[in-house]
Amino acid sequence: MNSSVVINITRKRENQPIEWRLLPMRVDDAFMSMAIDEALLKLNAEGRSPNTVRFWRWLPSTVSIGCFQSVEREVDLGAAKKYGVDVVRRITGGGAVFHDYEGELTYSVVCGQGDVPDDIIESYKLICGGLVRGFERLGLRVEFKPVNDVQVNGKKISGSAQTRRWGSVLQHGTILIDPDVRRMFELLRVSPEKISDKFISSVFERVTTVMRELGRKLGFDEVMVAMSEGFADALGMELVEGELTRKELELAALLKPKYASEEWLKKR
Amino acid sequence: MGYAEFKAPKGVIKVELELKGGTISRISLSGDFFMYPEDALEELERTLAGVRADRGGLLEAVRRFYVSTGVLTPMVEPEHWVEAILRAAGGIQ
Repeated sequence: MNSSVVINITRKRENQPIEWRLLPMRVDDAFMSMAIDEALLKLNAEGRSPNTVRFWRWLPSTVSIGCFQSVEREVDLGAAKKYGVDVVRRITGGGAVFHDYEGELTYSVVCGQGDVPDDIIESYKLICGGLVRGFERLGLRVEFKPVNDVQVNGKKISGSAQTRRWGSVLQHGTILIDPDVRRMFELLRVSPEKISDKFISSVFERVTTVMRELGRKLGFDEVMVAMSEGFADALGMELVEGELTRKELELAALLKPKYASEEWLKKR
Repeated sequence: MGYAEFKAPKGVIKVELELKGGTISRISLSGDFFMYPEDALEELERTLAGVRADRGGLLEAVRRFYVSTGVLTPMVEPEHWVEAILRAAGGIQ
Protein backbone atom coordinates (compact mmCIF):
# COMPACT_ATOMS: atom_id res chain seq x y z
CA MET A 1 0.00 0.00 0.00
CA ASN A 2 3.02 2.30 0.12
CA SER A 3 2.37 3.56 -3.35
CA SER A 4 4.45 6.51 -4.34
CA VAL A 5 2.31 9.53 -5.01
CA VAL A 6 2.97 11.36 -8.21
CA ILE A 7 0.46 13.99 -9.13
CA ASN A 8 0.60 15.52 -12.55
CA ILE A 9 -2.11 17.97 -13.29
CA THR A 10 -1.35 19.83 -16.46
CA ARG A 11 -3.65 22.79 -15.94
CA LYS A 12 -1.49 25.84 -16.43
CA ARG A 13 -1.85 29.45 -15.45
CA GLU A 14 -0.03 32.01 -17.59
CA ASN A 15 1.56 29.13 -19.53
CA GLN A 16 3.57 28.21 -16.50
CA PRO A 17 2.50 25.38 -14.20
CA ILE A 18 2.46 26.66 -10.64
CA GLU A 19 4.23 24.19 -8.43
CA TRP A 20 3.31 23.47 -4.85
CA ARG A 21 5.04 20.99 -2.62
CA LEU A 22 3.35 17.76 -1.52
CA LEU A 23 4.84 16.33 1.67
CA PRO A 24 4.82 12.59 2.41
CA MET A 25 2.19 11.44 4.88
CA ARG A 26 3.37 11.74 8.46
CA VAL A 27 2.30 10.24 11.76
CA ASP A 28 3.07 12.52 14.72
CA ASP A 29 1.69 13.40 18.09
CA ALA A 30 -0.68 16.36 18.32
CA PHE A 31 1.91 18.82 19.56
CA MET A 32 4.39 18.12 16.77
CA SER A 33 1.66 18.22 14.13
CA MET A 34 0.43 21.61 15.31
CA ALA A 35 4.02 22.87 15.51
CA ILE A 36 4.76 21.76 11.94
CA ASP A 37 1.67 23.56 10.67
CA GLU A 38 2.63 26.80 12.42
CA ALA A 39 6.25 26.49 11.23
CA LEU A 40 5.09 26.05 7.63
CA LEU A 41 2.79 29.07 7.93
CA LYS A 42 5.46 31.30 9.41
CA LEU A 43 8.21 30.28 7.02
CA ASN A 44 5.85 30.55 4.03
CA ALA A 45 5.08 34.12 5.09
CA GLU A 46 8.81 34.82 5.29
CA GLY A 47 9.29 33.42 1.80
CA ARG A 48 11.34 30.51 3.15
CA SER A 49 8.79 27.71 2.61
CA PRO A 50 6.93 26.95 -0.61
CA ASN A 51 3.17 26.63 -0.84
CA THR A 52 2.53 23.20 0.60
CA VAL A 53 -0.09 20.47 0.87
CA ARG A 54 0.35 17.74 3.45
CA PHE A 55 -1.57 14.89 5.06
CA TRP A 56 -1.05 13.32 8.42
CA ARG A 57 -2.45 11.07 11.15
CA TRP A 58 -2.42 11.64 14.88
CA LEU A 59 -0.73 9.20 17.25
CA PRO A 60 -2.02 8.94 19.89
CA SER A 61 -5.54 9.84 18.79
CA THR A 62 -6.30 13.42 19.78
CA VAL A 63 -9.11 15.89 20.34
CA SER A 64 -8.16 19.26 18.87
CA ILE A 65 -10.13 22.30 19.96
CA GLY A 66 -10.54 25.62 18.20
CA CYS A 67 -8.41 28.50 19.46
CA PHE A 68 -11.45 30.25 20.99
CA GLN A 69 -12.93 27.23 22.73
CA SER A 70 -12.92 26.48 26.42
CA VAL A 71 -11.29 23.10 26.89
CA GLU A 72 -13.43 22.21 29.94
CA ARG A 73 -16.64 23.11 28.16
CA GLU A 74 -15.85 21.20 24.96
CA VAL A 75 -13.92 18.11 26.01
CA ASP A 76 -14.63 15.39 28.53
CA LEU A 77 -11.10 15.33 29.94
CA GLY A 78 -11.90 12.29 32.06
CA ALA A 79 -12.88 10.33 28.95
CA ALA A 80 -9.76 11.57 27.15
CA LYS A 81 -7.59 10.32 29.99
CA LYS A 82 -9.45 7.00 30.13
CA TYR A 83 -8.86 6.34 26.43
CA GLY A 84 -5.31 7.75 26.28
CA VAL A 85 -6.43 10.52 23.95
CA ASP A 86 -4.35 13.71 23.82
CA VAL A 87 -6.01 17.13 23.80
CA VAL A 88 -4.54 20.13 21.99
CA ARG A 89 -5.59 23.70 21.24
CA ARG A 90 -5.19 24.77 17.60
CA ILE A 91 -4.19 28.23 16.35
CA THR A 92 -7.26 28.14 14.12
CA GLY A 93 -10.85 28.86 15.13
CA GLY A 94 -13.77 26.51 14.68
CA GLY A 95 -14.87 23.52 16.69
CA ALA A 96 -13.52 20.49 18.48
CA VAL A 97 -12.51 17.49 16.38
CA PHE A 98 -11.72 13.89 17.33
CA HIS A 99 -8.73 12.75 15.29
CA ASP A 100 -8.95 8.97 15.52
CA TYR A 101 -5.64 7.39 14.51
CA GLU A 102 -7.48 4.43 13.02
CA GLY A 103 -10.00 6.29 10.93
CA GLU A 104 -9.23 9.93 10.34
CA LEU A 105 -6.90 11.73 7.97
CA THR A 106 -5.97 15.39 8.41
CA TYR A 107 -4.78 17.71 5.68
CA SER A 108 -3.07 21.09 5.69
CA VAL A 109 -2.74 23.65 2.95
CA VAL A 110 -0.28 26.51 3.41
CA CYS A 111 0.00 29.30 0.85
CA GLY A 112 0.32 33.02 0.42
CA GLN A 113 -2.69 35.18 1.13
CA GLY A 114 -2.54 36.32 -2.48
CA ASP A 115 -3.01 32.74 -3.65
CA VAL A 116 -6.59 32.61 -2.32
CA PRO A 117 -9.50 35.08 -2.51
CA ASP A 118 -9.52 37.87 0.10
CA ASP A 119 -13.08 37.00 1.01
CA ILE A 120 -12.89 34.41 3.78
CA ILE A 121 -15.82 32.24 2.71
CA GLU A 122 -14.61 32.31 -0.91
CA SER A 123 -11.17 31.19 0.21
CA TYR A 124 -12.67 28.28 2.18
CA LYS A 125 -14.72 27.44 -0.89
CA LEU A 126 -11.61 27.34 -3.08
CA ILE A 127 -9.56 25.15 -0.77
CA CYS A 128 -12.51 22.95 0.28
CA GLY A 129 -13.12 22.64 -3.47
CA GLY A 130 -10.05 20.41 -3.46
CA LEU A 131 -11.71 18.17 -0.91
CA VAL A 132 -14.97 18.18 -2.88
CA ARG A 133 -13.12 17.00 -5.99
CA GLY A 134 -11.18 14.47 -3.93
CA PHE A 135 -14.36 12.98 -2.45
CA GLU A 136 -15.86 12.88 -5.96
CA ARG A 137 -12.86 10.90 -7.15
CA LEU A 138 -13.64 8.43 -4.38
CA GLY A 139 -17.18 8.09 -5.71
CA LEU A 140 -19.03 10.32 -3.24
CA ARG A 141 -21.49 13.10 -3.96
CA VAL A 142 -20.58 15.95 -1.67
CA GLU A 143 -21.08 19.68 -1.41
CA PHE A 144 -19.30 22.59 0.21
CA LYS A 145 -21.31 24.02 3.07
CA PRO A 146 -20.16 27.52 4.08
CA VAL A 147 -18.27 28.48 6.09
CA ASN A 148 -16.01 25.48 6.42
CA ASP A 149 -17.70 22.12 5.95
CA VAL A 150 -18.06 19.47 3.27
CA GLN A 151 -21.28 17.48 3.52
CA VAL A 152 -22.96 14.39 2.14
CA ASN A 153 -26.77 14.70 2.23
CA GLY A 154 -26.52 17.35 4.94
CA LYS A 155 -24.11 15.36 7.10
CA LYS A 156 -20.59 16.57 7.75
CA ILE A 157 -17.83 14.39 6.30
CA SER A 158 -15.08 17.01 6.54
CA GLY A 159 -14.57 20.21 8.51
CA SER A 160 -11.80 22.76 8.07
CA ALA A 161 -10.31 25.70 9.92
CA GLN A 162 -8.20 28.50 8.55
CA THR A 163 -6.00 31.24 9.91
CA ARG A 164 -4.24 34.09 8.16
CA ARG A 165 -1.08 35.37 9.75
CA TRP A 166 1.92 37.34 8.65
CA GLY A 167 0.62 37.40 5.06
CA SER A 168 0.07 33.68 4.61
CA VAL A 169 -2.81 31.27 5.03
CA LEU A 170 -2.98 27.95 6.85
CA GLN A 171 -6.05 25.81 6.35
CA HIS A 172 -6.23 22.40 7.92
CA GLY A 173 -9.09 20.01 8.32
CA THR A 174 -10.41 16.58 9.01
CA ILE A 175 -11.37 13.86 6.55
CA LEU A 176 -13.60 11.29 8.26
CA ILE A 177 -12.73 7.91 6.77
CA ASP A 178 -13.89 5.51 9.48
CA PRO A 179 -13.50 7.05 12.93
CA ASP A 180 -15.08 5.62 16.06
CA VAL A 181 -18.08 7.95 16.08
CA ARG A 182 -19.38 6.62 19.40
CA ARG A 183 -16.09 7.46 21.06
CA MET A 184 -16.09 10.84 19.30
CA PHE A 185 -19.29 11.79 21.09
CA GLU A 186 -18.02 10.41 24.39
CA LEU A 187 -15.04 12.75 24.12
CA LEU A 188 -16.78 15.87 22.81
CA ARG A 189 -19.35 17.78 24.76
CA VAL A 190 -21.89 18.73 22.11
CA SER A 191 -23.72 21.94 22.87
CA PRO A 192 -27.51 21.44 23.27
CA GLU A 193 -27.90 24.82 21.59
CA LYS A 194 -26.16 23.51 18.49
CA ILE A 195 -28.26 20.38 18.26
CA SER A 196 -31.66 21.90 18.97
CA ASP A 197 -31.15 24.42 16.22
CA LYS A 198 -30.99 21.70 13.64
CA PHE A 199 -34.00 19.83 15.01
CA ILE A 200 -31.96 16.71 15.27
CA SER A 201 -32.61 14.32 18.08
CA SER A 202 -29.43 12.34 17.74
CA VAL A 203 -25.94 13.72 17.38
CA PHE A 204 -25.07 10.65 15.34
CA GLU A 205 -27.12 12.03 12.50
CA ARG A 206 -24.94 15.11 12.11
CA VAL A 207 -21.80 13.35 10.98
CA THR A 208 -21.01 10.71 8.41
CA THR A 209 -17.88 8.92 7.18
CA VAL A 210 -16.42 7.64 3.93
CA MET A 211 -16.92 4.13 5.26
CA ARG A 212 -20.61 4.67 5.94
CA GLU A 213 -21.26 6.35 2.60
CA LEU A 214 -19.28 3.95 0.40
CA GLY A 215 -19.82 0.79 2.40
CA ARG A 216 -16.14 -0.07 2.36
CA LYS A 217 -13.07 1.15 4.16
CA LEU A 218 -10.53 2.95 2.02
CA GLY A 219 -6.81 2.99 2.73
CA PHE A 220 -5.20 6.20 3.88
CA ASP A 221 -3.01 6.25 0.75
CA GLU A 222 -6.01 5.99 -1.54
CA VAL A 223 -7.72 8.89 0.17
CA MET A 224 -4.53 10.94 0.15
CA VAL A 225 -3.99 10.44 -3.58
CA ALA A 226 -7.60 11.41 -4.38
CA MET A 227 -7.42 14.51 -2.20
CA SER A 228 -4.02 15.53 -3.60
CA GLU A 229 -5.40 15.36 -7.12
CA GLY A 230 -8.46 17.25 -5.95
CA PHE A 231 -6.36 20.05 -4.49
CA ALA A 232 -4.17 20.29 -7.60
CA ASP A 233 -7.28 20.49 -9.75
CA ALA A 234 -9.17 23.00 -7.60
CA LEU A 235 -6.18 25.25 -6.99
CA GLY A 236 -4.86 25.05 -10.54
CA MET A 237 -1.38 23.95 -9.58
CA GLU A 238 0.96 21.03 -9.89
CA LEU A 239 1.94 19.11 -6.78
CA VAL A 240 5.56 18.06 -6.63
CA GLU A 241 6.73 15.66 -3.96
CA GLY A 242 9.13 17.17 -1.47
CA GLU A 243 10.33 16.84 2.10
CA LEU A 244 10.21 19.02 5.18
CA THR A 245 13.37 21.10 5.33
CA ARG A 246 15.74 21.18 8.27
CA LYS A 247 14.68 24.78 8.90
CA GLU A 248 11.03 23.76 9.09
CA LEU A 249 11.76 20.90 11.46
CA GLU A 250 13.92 23.13 13.65
CA LEU A 251 11.21 25.77 13.94
CA ALA A 252 8.61 23.08 14.63
CA ALA A 253 10.77 21.73 17.45
CA LEU A 254 10.90 25.25 18.95
CA LEU A 255 7.12 25.68 18.68
CA LYS A 256 6.15 22.25 19.98
CA PRO A 257 6.46 23.00 23.75
CA LYS A 258 3.80 25.73 23.46
CA TYR A 259 1.25 23.23 22.14
CA ALA A 260 2.14 20.69 24.82
CA SER A 261 1.82 23.27 27.65
CA GLU A 262 -1.06 23.45 30.14
CA GLU A 263 -1.01 27.21 29.78
CA TRP A 264 -1.84 27.04 26.07
CA LEU A 265 -4.40 24.24 26.50
CA LYS A 266 -6.26 26.04 29.30
CA LYS A 267 -6.03 29.47 27.69
CA ARG A 268 -9.87 29.59 27.55
CA MET B 1 -21.71 34.84 37.50
CA GLY B 2 -23.93 34.46 34.45
CA TYR B 3 -23.48 32.00 31.62
CA ALA B 4 -25.28 31.54 28.34
CA GLU B 5 -24.87 30.20 24.83
CA PHE B 6 -26.23 31.55 21.60
CA LYS B 7 -26.04 29.91 18.20
CA ALA B 8 -25.08 32.37 15.49
CA PRO B 9 -25.46 31.29 11.83
CA LYS B 10 -21.88 30.01 12.12
CA GLY B 11 -20.76 28.98 15.53
CA VAL B 12 -22.00 28.91 19.09
CA ILE B 13 -21.00 31.94 21.18
CA LYS B 14 -20.50 31.10 24.86
CA VAL B 15 -20.47 33.92 27.39
CA GLU B 16 -19.46 33.92 31.03
CA LEU B 17 -19.80 37.27 32.79
CA GLU B 18 -20.11 39.16 36.05
CA LEU B 19 -22.10 42.32 36.53
CA LYS B 20 -21.70 45.21 38.98
CA GLY B 21 -24.71 47.47 39.11
CA GLY B 22 -25.86 46.55 35.62
CA THR B 23 -22.39 47.02 34.14
CA ILE B 24 -20.11 44.23 32.92
CA SER B 25 -17.20 43.86 35.33
CA ARG B 26 -15.72 40.70 33.83
CA ILE B 27 -16.50 38.80 30.64
CA SER B 28 -15.11 35.72 28.98
CA LEU B 29 -16.07 34.72 25.44
CA SER B 30 -15.52 31.32 23.86
CA GLY B 31 -16.94 29.13 21.13
CA ASP B 32 -16.41 27.56 17.72
CA PHE B 33 -16.71 30.71 15.60
CA PHE B 34 -13.96 32.18 13.44
CA MET B 35 -12.36 35.57 14.00
CA TYR B 36 -9.66 37.19 11.90
CA PRO B 37 -7.29 38.13 13.44
CA GLU B 38 -7.64 35.70 16.32
CA ASP B 39 -6.16 37.92 19.05
CA ALA B 40 -8.97 40.44 18.50
CA LEU B 41 -11.18 38.35 20.81
CA GLU B 42 -9.20 39.57 23.82
CA GLU B 43 -9.67 43.11 22.57
CA LEU B 44 -13.43 42.51 22.39
CA GLU B 45 -13.43 41.29 26.00
CA ARG B 46 -11.51 44.39 27.09
CA THR B 47 -13.91 46.61 25.13
CA LEU B 48 -16.93 45.07 26.83
CA ALA B 49 -15.65 45.43 30.39
CA GLY B 50 -17.31 48.52 31.86
CA VAL B 51 -20.17 48.55 29.33
CA ARG B 52 -23.77 48.58 30.57
CA ALA B 53 -25.48 45.27 29.91
CA ASP B 54 -28.35 46.65 27.84
CA ARG B 55 -28.97 46.14 24.15
CA GLY B 56 -28.16 49.69 23.04
CA GLY B 57 -24.92 50.05 24.98
CA LEU B 58 -23.68 46.61 23.99
CA LEU B 59 -24.49 47.00 20.31
CA GLU B 60 -22.68 50.32 20.18
CA ALA B 61 -19.60 48.88 21.90
CA VAL B 62 -19.47 45.79 19.68
CA ARG B 63 -19.96 47.81 16.49
CA ARG B 64 -17.22 50.19 17.59
CA PHE B 65 -14.94 47.18 18.10
CA TYR B 66 -15.64 45.93 14.56
CA VAL B 67 -14.88 49.33 13.04
CA SER B 68 -11.77 50.10 15.08
CA THR B 69 -10.16 46.66 14.62
CA GLY B 70 -11.40 45.78 11.12
CA VAL B 71 -12.07 42.32 12.49
CA LEU B 72 -13.83 39.72 10.32
CA THR B 73 -16.16 37.05 11.72
CA PRO B 74 -17.78 35.08 8.88
CA MET B 75 -21.51 34.59 9.48
CA VAL B 76 -21.33 36.11 12.95
CA GLU B 77 -22.64 39.69 13.30
CA PRO B 78 -22.43 42.24 16.13
CA GLU B 79 -26.07 41.47 17.01
CA HIS B 80 -25.16 37.86 17.74
CA TRP B 81 -22.59 38.80 20.38
CA VAL B 82 -25.12 41.15 21.94
CA GLU B 83 -27.78 38.43 22.04
CA ALA B 84 -25.37 36.00 23.70
CA ILE B 85 -24.28 38.60 26.28
CA LEU B 86 -27.86 39.63 27.09
CA ARG B 87 -28.77 36.00 27.68
CA ALA B 88 -25.85 35.58 30.08
CA ALA B 89 -26.72 38.85 31.86
CA GLY B 90 -30.40 37.87 31.99
CA GLY B 91 -29.45 34.73 33.85
CA ILE B 92 -28.12 36.87 36.71
CA GLN B 93 -30.89 39.42 37.06
